[in-house]
Amino acid sequence: MKSLRQTAAPVLWVGPAVALIAVVVLWPVVVMLESSIQHIGGEGFVAGYNGVANYLKLFAEPAFLGVLGRTVLWTVGVVAVTMLLSLGLAQLFDQAFPLRRVARWALILPWACSVMMTALIFRWMLDPHSGAINVVLHDLGLLDRFDSPEASWLGNPATAFVWMMVVAVFVSLPFSTYALLAGLQSIPGDIYEAAALDGANGWRRYATITLPLLRPAILVATLINVINVFNSFPIIWEMTGGGPGYATSTTTTFMVALKQGDVGESAAMSVINFALVIVIVLIYLRVTRWKEQVD
Amino acid sequence: MRTSRIVAVGAVGVAAALALSACSGGSGGSSGGSTTLKLVVADYGTGPSNASATYWKGIADAFHKTNPDISVKITSIPWTGFDQQVQTMVQNKQYPDITEGDYFSNYAQDGLLYSADEVLTNPGNLLSTFKAQGTYNGKQYGMPFTTSSRTLFYNKKLFREAGITAPPTTWADVKADAAKIKAQGATGFGLPLGPEEAQAESLLWMLGNGGGYQTNGKYTIDSAANVETFRFLTGLVDAGLTEPNPGTVNRTDLWQKFAQDQVGMVNGSPALIPIIQSAGKLGTSDWASVPIPGKTGALDTTLGVCDNVAAFKPNGHQAQIKKFLDFAYQDTYQLQFDKEYDLLPATTSAVQALASDPVFGPFLTALPKSVQYPSDTAWANTKTKIQQTIGTAVTQDPKSVLGQLQHVATSGQ
Repeated sequence: MKSLRQTAAPVLWVGPAVALIAVVVLWPVVVMLESSIQHIGGEGFVAGYNGVANYLKLFAEPAFLGVLGRTVLWTVGVVAVTMLLSLGLAQLFDQAFPLRRVARWALILPWACSVMMTALIFRWMLDPHSGAINVVLHDLGLLDRFDSPEASWLGNPATAFVWMMVVAVFVSLPFSTYALLAGLQSIPGDIYEAAALDGANGWRRYATITLPLLRPAILVATLINVINVFNSFPIIWEMTGGGPGYATSTTTTFMVALKQGDVGESAAMSVINFALVIVIVLIYLRVTRWKEQVD
Repeated sequence: MRTSRIVAVGAVGVAAALALSACSGGSGGSSGGSTTLKLVVADYGTGPSNASATYWKGIADAFHKTNPDISVKITSIPWTGFDQQVQTMVQNKQYPDITEGDYFSNYAQDGLLYSADEVLTNPGNLLSTFKAQGTYNGKQYGMPFTTSSRTLFYNKKLFREAGITAPPTTWADVKADAAKIKAQGATGFGLPLGPEEAQAESLLWMLGNGGGYQTNGKYTIDSAANVETFRFLTGLVDAGLTEPNPGTVNRTDLWQKFAQDQVGMVNGSPALIPIIQSAGKLGTSDWASVPIPGKTGALDTTLGVCDNVAAFKPNGHQAQIKKFLDFAYQDTYQLQFDKEYDLLPATTSAVQALASDPVFGPFLTALPKSVQYPSDTAWANTKTKIQQTIGTAVTQDPKSVLGQLQHVATSGQ
């Protein structure tokens, strides 16, 4: 009797959490997989099973390959730039300087503000006729005419995509910087003293001491960034809506655009999306050999 | 030790109670035989001062006074997101009772709608011109609520400064005039091929070359005439005679720019007039409206657009919907709506009341000869794809873009 209670007690404590995960995480995945093999029209009525027809229709979409390629470019580009800038910013905020506290609070702002609001404001700043960025460029002499193709940053798919990546980096910086800053502050100071005694200069110290000891923090920050950036929706949706045709869409916005017409096809895109992010995360973890200790 | 345990148990209890009340609080209340009708409307206004919700609230309050057991809950959605949000409501089985905005015959096909004679005492009062576009399988489900016809608005002030004496009547005129206006530093022709209403702008240009979305009831989106039309538009865009990247610009933004004296020509409807007036940059003699130019001459048919009311079955409120629609379709409310948004009425009695009006009269005479969108069940999906992709027909090969749209239209039938 005592052993039954002992084995039952952990289940009681862990049970609600497991149930929550099952309902909120696992069940939608099952429904998603099921929807992707069903024939569901735009009104949401399920009209029977469709086998792999939804997937074939999705692969036959002319925009599909471009969307996939853009998604990889989006994720890799934004995360790489964010992490590089965050390493620098974290190093900066680790130093003591006047008003450092104010600067640290200011860094929280892009993270605290709603991403949709940030995207909307950037969209209006890039307006070809009266956007703030164009006005500044015009005053600096870099833009000769308003309402010109050069001023229509979000109209041209290439420049629009670059700007959206800038906004994505902008909203991802605070979290990464703070994660790395926390990592930096956990490095004991006497290691640096020992290295200085051995005659190591700034760059060597950084490369051989700081970076390896920061590895757990970099790992966590990059992983979370990859997942967030991959699923990023408001920036692209608000700034270009996926662009002319689907020229600035990633898989997430493409999925929403498809949902209006064919829910089954959109579910197929969703499954591919899910598989893609799992593959990216697994590859990343493999490449960085996350389980190895840092000695 | 003991008090902290009590506090912990108490906290868990309060949290559970809050969670339970949140779960059950969502379902609307109907107490003792009273009904709540869920009304979803499109927002025609340009800001809070003339938001459509205000108009509908006036009707709802007056209706509630005469029918105290029926209350109306209003949800107002801007046009850019209307189709998607209603679609999401339907997909999630959170059906509205009445919608005012776009109507899709797919809903009628799936048996989701009441027919016009089930929810209106006098369905014959609705304009017969628009009966066909709301009909499915011989019965009318989409009830026109407001209508408009499109014309070309041009900036007389910019024309004067550019030395143009007469408004354009052919495509060649449009090209020449746009070039002269571009030389003045303004946008020659405002071409909105962005997702908000690309289907309207495309149709106006296609009509100019004798094309359109359908011929004799069959989809002909990639006909030779339509491809030629888009090649002409590509030429306009490449020469810089329109705003840059038209596939990303919406009609609403372009109308604002026209009102700000930045655009020489734009296709508009009477709803553009209050936007011009509130911007205050163009006086009444600085703009005018003329028939839309076609390839060889001005069009005598134009796009007649009507926005529809649809009544949804799943909630089973047929009697209450009928009372509300009979109330809302009275002439006073039709004319109030039209005066506020500069649109045209949808009932024969209201049209007769407005026929002598100097501003609206000319638009009313064009209504009976207007061309409308297709009304079959493939149109909903086709319209979505047109909105999302037709803007690329001026940057890529029009034949392939229109061909894909034709494929979407015919495979949906």
